[in-house]
Amino acid sequence: MREALELLEDVVSGSDGFVEARYHAKSSRAIGVEKGTIERSQYRTRSGVGIRVLERGAWGFASTGNLDASAIRAAIESARAAAIAGSAHKKERVDTLPAARLARGTFDLPGVDEVLGRSLEEKIAMASRFEEAVRNAGNAISSASCGYSEIYEEKAIVTTDGAAAAFRLVRPELRLQAVAEKDGQLSSGFESVGATGGWECLFRGGTGESFAEKAAKTATDLLTAKHPEGGRATVILAPSIVGLLVHEAIGHTVEADFVQAGSVAAGRIGKRVASDLVTLCDSGSSQFYDGAGGTIPVDDEGVVAQNTTIIRNGILESYLHNRESAAKYGVAPTGSARAWEYSDQPLIRMRNTYLVPGVASLEEIIAGTKDGYLLDGPRNGQADATGEFMFGVQEARRIRDGKLCELVRGVTLSGIAFDVMQTVDAISNEFKWDLGSGYCGKGQPAKVDAGGPYIRCQAVLGGEQ
Amino acid sequence: MESTQSETITDLCQRLVDAAIASGADQAEAIAGYQHTVETRLENSDVHTVQTTDETMFGLRVFAGGSLGFITSNRTDPNTIKDCVAEAIGQAAAIPADPLNDLPDHQELVSIDGLFDDATAAVTVDQTTEYAAQLVEQVRSRDERIRIDSGGVSATTWIGALASSKGMQAVESGTSADGHLFGMAVDGDEVASFDYDGDSAHDFETMKSVVGDAVERFADKCLSGLGAQSGRSFKGSVVLSPDVVEEFILGNLVGTLAADAVRKGRSPLAGKLGQKIAVDGLTLIDDGTRAGGMRSSSFDREGVPIRRHVLIENGVLQTYLYNHYEARAAGNGTTSTGHAGGGASSLPSISPVQLELAAGDVAQDSLFDGDEPIVHVGRFSGSTNSITGDFSGVVKNSFLIENGERRPIKETLMAGNLFTLLESITAISRERRLLGGAELLPTIRAEGVSITAG
Repeated sequence: MREALELLEDVVSGSDGFVEARYHAKSSRAIGVEKGTIERSQYRTRSGVGIRVLERGAWGFASTGNLDASAIRAAIESARAAAIAGSAHKKERVDTLPAARLARGTFDLPGVDEVLGRSLEEKIAMASRFEEAVRNAGNAISSASCGYSEIYEEKAIVTTDGAAAAFRLVRPELRLQAVAEKDGQLSSGFESVGATGGWECLFRGGTGESFAEKAAKTATDLLTAKHPEGGRATVILAPSIVGLLVHEAIGHTVEADFVQAGSVAAGRIGKRVASDLVTLCDSGSSQFYDGAGGTIPVDDEGVVAQNTTIIRNGILESYLHNRESAAKYGVAPTGSARAWEYSDQPLIRMRNTYLVPGVASLEEIIAGTKDGYLLDGPRNGQADATGEFMFGVQEARRIRDGKLCELVRGVTLSGIAFDVMQTVDAISNEFKWDLGSGYCGKGQPAKVDAGGPYIRCQAVLGGEQ
Repeated sequence: MESTQSETITDLCQRLVDAAIASGADQAEAIAGYQHTVETRLENSDVHTVQTTDETMFGLRVFAGGSLGFITSNRTDPNTIKDCVAEAIGQAAAIPADPLNDLPDHQELVSIDGLFDDATAAVTVDQTTEYAAQLVEQVRSRDERIRIDSGGVSATTWIGALASSKGMQAVESGTSADGHLFGMAVDGDEVASFDYDGDSAHDFETMKSVVGDAVERFADKCLSGLGAQSGRSFKGSVVLSPDVVEEFILGNLVGTLAADAVRKGRSPLAGKLGQKIAVDGLTLIDDGTRAGGMRSSSFDREGVPIRRHVLIENGVLQTYLYNHYEARAAGNGTTSTGHAGGGASSLPSISPVQLELAAGDVAQDSLFDGDEPIVHVGRFSGSTNSITGDFSGVVKNSFLIENGERRPIKETLMAGNLFTLLESITAISRERRLLGGAELLPTIRAEGVSITAG
């Protein structure tokens, strides 16, 4: 890593104007086991240098997979030529970048040696064991699968205005699926975990066998579940759904590039957007406990990743910024510029997005709910510029008179995020990162995490088929 | 330049195969792709970043002792190749043998016309930037309330090659040009739903023509979201636009046609070959051989020739989709249908190539006839359980048609079951739209769908 950092410092030091050079080596391993067969073992490695140049008020980008100094210098000139081409048509020029807390030094995250040190044979045996646990979890299980994957990254980031940082990190992930069948009716259960760090981080929420058992139980129980009635309902959202909600439906609307385009969060800094119980943050580090899946020590502009309070006690306080948007808004960058691979340019992205816990216990919240649902396990989710969201939910359990009742299936949850957050009337004292196996898409993927406590609010359930 | 690069890529594949066999692999297959792209990206209704990228990626699949190993990399120097071969062989040593592991034999390929354009291969960042700026102006002149969040114009030259120890040798090259926009309308405090549109062609000039039309559709979609009100709840008719037919119906249906999903008990269409699974008028074709098609190709991920297949004919399921592994697993003389999907970065999966739905027999406008309420769905933001077919989600860029009035709606959910919906289609339009230069799809009307107003 020191070698890569020194190479970039050497190449960039002779450059005119603003140049940002990012060495990024990424390797990923994936193992797939299904119905007792190892169906997939693959290893992917991709490395190179991405260059951004700010010239005549416009950005140019070029990349090279060749790590020779001459190839990197050629990429700088390609990026400069591209910036000049862009400047001929760019209306709003980027004159200067704001001062930022630029990182210098090495910032390795824990777990790298531990995860990479486990042999391929051990990882295959682990995935096979968990798949077998799903398969043997009951007579109704007709199909089982386990996917293990890990991403290992090395980065070095150097800018002409002072950043010179390098780090290594590793992100292991585990996915388990069970399919149950009875009388021609199929249902599925899915469990996944992902972390930035070692095995302790990955398995903090349970063993692989316990995830296998839960996936199988969900699939089996859903076989006989009915669909819910559709319409507006009182819902208690588990940390996994809270995480998806704050990421998809709020987090994207406060990314400053989306704000500039006119998202629903535009012009609402200082205004109430949620109930006063709600405090929402997005952090480059893993708050409360180690291992959140979107953890980065330094962003891809070389800025130290901050913990940004987006909403404080219901009032919108900050957007998420890169250096360019921070200059436009006259604030400090939040360390939110991220690129998926060396050939990608950094975009404003979330990292670990979370709702701050409250004081009630989950039991108290359920007991205080006369008629509603407890929702856990997101299947997928989308949200809109308006903050309107739609999430598929794996497990929805009916609540009547303060007691958990039957499971229902095929549930979707929707609403307008800021409206829903205004209805939050209870927040539990638990905290869980629960989106660590998630990937966010915005032209390029990003590893993110999200979570929080249980919350109670009002939203719309998709219902009877 | 292109022929030299093709030779380089082909030579790389053969070197990888030879190195793997020399290291103890029983069989080896290498696939490589080279790509040169010039691109101008838009952000906040302005030119943002201009970029150029060049890269070669390769994938090496080996079978050693009957076991699989696979690696992919963008480094092609001798030391990296040596390490990659060792990694792939090492993986195979760690995995139990699978008797189904095998590479397909060499087959004759038929080249596809219209994939490469010399002028597009020579497109510069000045050209992509000039046209990207024109798109911004086209949108602005249409209506200043439309905001482009992001978008771009690009031109790509690509070469794909494959070689195997069973004599497979294949190479193909092409160009593609693309323009797309993502954004929404903002009118005072009102923010409408985001939407997107775009199009592609093998040559830059044709792309400009089709993207010009896509920009008008983008503007229409963005503006239609202004003034949207909540819909109303009922169980009844929906009219699905070609975009929804592509993303929602075909996007979920094709996974259940894949032979691996059938074999693993994940497809509700298992055991239904020759049976009726949809209404009479529904005929689904996969044709990756069409000249100039954006997904047309002479060979699949394993080098097997791509052909035209009728997947569903008048509602009757005709075939599943097979790659070489799944064909061997199916037995009874089953052969690959040329549906091995993926590229240099992945093991062969199973996917369709270029789908089309046969045209129906009614005019598109007549799909909206009748006295009962209808929801015209322009986009579906929802979740479909691929195993059960249950779907539920929010309709976007959508309208409620009732009592002769057509009004935009929001916060409205649509729910049902995909396989039930295939049997409740009541009309398919004569008119079809070519999406992304690849898929040719009509507008469809179906009944019995649950609509819930929020």
